[in-house]
Amino acid sequence: MSRSLFINPTAFETDLQAAFAACAKANGVQTAAFERFAKQGIPNRRVEGWKWSDFHGALRGLSPANDAEAQADIAPSDFAALNPLEFRIIDGRIELPQGELPDGMRYDVVDPVATIPELEHHAIATLNVAMTRKALGIEIGEDAPDRPILIRHINTNAASTFTQTMMRVSVNARARLIETYEGEGIGLYSHLFHMVVRDGAKFDRTVVHETGAGQVVNTVCAAKVDADASFKQTSLSMGSRLARHETLVHLWAPGGSAEIYSLALLRAERHSDFTTHVVHKAPHCRTRQIHKGVARDRGRNVFQGKFEVEREAQQTDAKMTANALLLSNTAEANHKPELEIYADDVECAHGSTCGALDEDALFYLRQRGLNEAAARALLVEAFVGEVIDGIDDDRLGDIFRASVADWLVCE
Amino acid sequence: MLKIENLHTTVGGNEILKGLSLDVPAGEVHAIMGPNGSGKSTLSYTVAGRDGYEATDGAVMLEGTNILGLAPDARAAKGLFLSFQHPMEIPGVQTMTFIRTALNAQRRLRGEADMSAADFIRLIREKAKLVGLDDAKLKRPFNVGFSGGEKKRMEMLQMAIFEPRFAIMDETDSGLDIDALKMVGEVVNALRGPERGFLIITHYQRLLHYIKPDRVHVLAGGRIVKSGAAGLAAELEKSGYEQFIEAA
Ligand SMILES: Nc1ncnc2c1ncn2[C@@H]1O[C@H](COP(=O)(O)OP(=O)(O)OP(=O)(O)O)[C@@H](O)[C@H]1O
Ligand SMILES: [Mg+2]
Repeated sequence: MSRSLFINPTAFETDLQAAFAACAKANGVQTAAFERFAKQGIPNRRVEGWKWSDFHGALRGLSPANDAEAQADIAPSDFAALNPLEFRIIDGRIELPQGELPDGMRYDVVDPVATIPELEHHAIATLNVAMTRKALGIEIGEDAPDRPILIRHINTNAASTFTQTMMRVSVNARARLIETYEGEGIGLYSHLFHMVVRDGAKFDRTVVHETGAGQVVNTVCAAKVDADASFKQTSLSMGSRLARHETLVHLWAPGGSAEIYSLALLRAERHSDFTTHVVHKAPHCRTRQIHKGVARDRGRNVFQGKFEVEREAQQTDAKMTANALLLSNTAEANHKPELEIYADDVECAHGSTCGALDEDALFYLRQRGLNEAAARALLVEAFVGEVIDGIDDDRLGDIFRASVADWLVCE
Repeated sequence: MLKIENLHTTVGGNEILKGLSLDVPAGEVHAIMGPNGSGKSTLSYTVAGRDGYEATDGAVMLEGTNILGLAPDARAAKGLFLSFQHPMEIPGVQTMTFIRTALNAQRRLRGEADMSAADFIRLIREKAKLVGLDDAKLKRPFNVGFSGGEKKRMEMLQMAIFEPRFAIMDETDSGLDIDALKMVGEVVNALRGPERGFLIITHYQRLLHYIKPDRVHVLAGGRIVKSGAAGLAAELEKSGYEQFIEAA
């Protein structure tokens, strides 16, 4: 085997180099990406932006080798009732929907992206560019049917898996996407979602991360939003060993809007990290962000939100709030809201809170006849309500509500 | 009905109630008056079972059972209602949903079936009109941004709906306008009956013009220091509490 590209590599990193050599022939861009990744290595706690999510430590003892095994039967999705067009990415293998291609849209297995300039410094995204050989490509036209697209990411084994999705929502088109992260896999899963919402288009993404406890996940959604286009994202994460959900939105042209809502429900030792960055590059853009994290046992809720407003982006209207609710003394929350503003005529605000359940309110509810579990549940449901009530599709909202109810009673 | 015997309550390490005894027989309305800080709210919280209000001695008998060991919701299910001096706000919970959840929780604890949605809506509309709250308020998050008087009306709305067997009303009259005082009188008088009892904590005589109490007690220094007929309230309004503070 060739000389190590890493300085002082872990076993995981050394094995990655072997895995890279073993996977289908890399082109020049991929080889360059791997070399760039190797200079950085898997991010550890000392790397800016990663101090609360230590991928280096979590992966140290794993091997990335692909030991893919025969697949158990896949149960129908919780979202089947919405009659979605269903794609599956099972242990990295892309399965397209059966049947005819609906009018107004195209999809296929395509070549992955060559490079994503805004993610050059993101070690895991860079590694993803080096490792991924096939991507899922979806294009939505203005006349596409109003039917949700479902992408199920199912990981079942201990291997490290790298996948990409590329999506284009055409001028004035509407698209609804649901993504689920599922399975009992215990390896690293890296997914890069690269998309553009063209002028006047509307894109609505719902993400549900509900995997086994052992998975180490990094998803990065990089979206470019054009003039008068809107990007809306609602996420629910139940956490896992490490689950880092990143969103990077560029509001590229006037009138663009971003709405980013996230909810983390964390029990046992589960960890969730929502890291987001919205770059306002043009005037008259609007951003709304709400994060709610509820943690019990030794759960850990991480939120890092950044709004950047460039000089040209006058009349930006951007608001961010992050609230954590800790249900036990051993649960943890780490929040870092950040504003970086270079324009002078803007309205930007952020707020962050962290607290326990309100004892006075609990007593009030119990005086009215609710038992302790019911009173606590009512207050937790009220806490997360702001995110769930913002979901436009009632059936989706009900699925979220049911997840919250299940989470509250699970041991 | 509610019989309190030699009740001692410690709050934050301080003994606030120091051997309080009181007996409100079924069918009666009693009033408690007393200076600020004398322990009136402490009494109501101890009876309702709030954490941190520790009964170190004595008993609180509700219809023959000592309720001191029971959880607050178990006391509520036995028919105990506390109208709070400072009602809480509960953001994110719609008023109507909350009251219905509470009503059905109490019914279940008593082994009764849930009330249907249609029956509940009819009931809450009727009672909301009685206490002077418009329908729009019922759809808002519970008490959030409500005025002091509106919050008290919300307490009376719940009392009218739950029809408790025993109600403690902790300064429900404070901060109420004249019409609202009259409304409180109507709610209490409509519920008043041989099976029910009320303990009304107040600083002023005026509510007692609408609700004629069977007895009036003075609470000072953690004990009942004087009891008398309805006329005692008027007497106190003239003379103040000074004599009792010295006595206590
Ligand atoms: N949580 C608490 N911690 C410490 N002291 C308390 C607490 N609650 C009440 N106290 C004290 O107990 C005493 C009695 O208070 P309480 O609220 O029962 O008085 P009150 O008679 O209801 O007064 P008011 O007429 O002002 O409502 C006061 O001295 C008060 O400071
Ligand atoms: Mg008081």
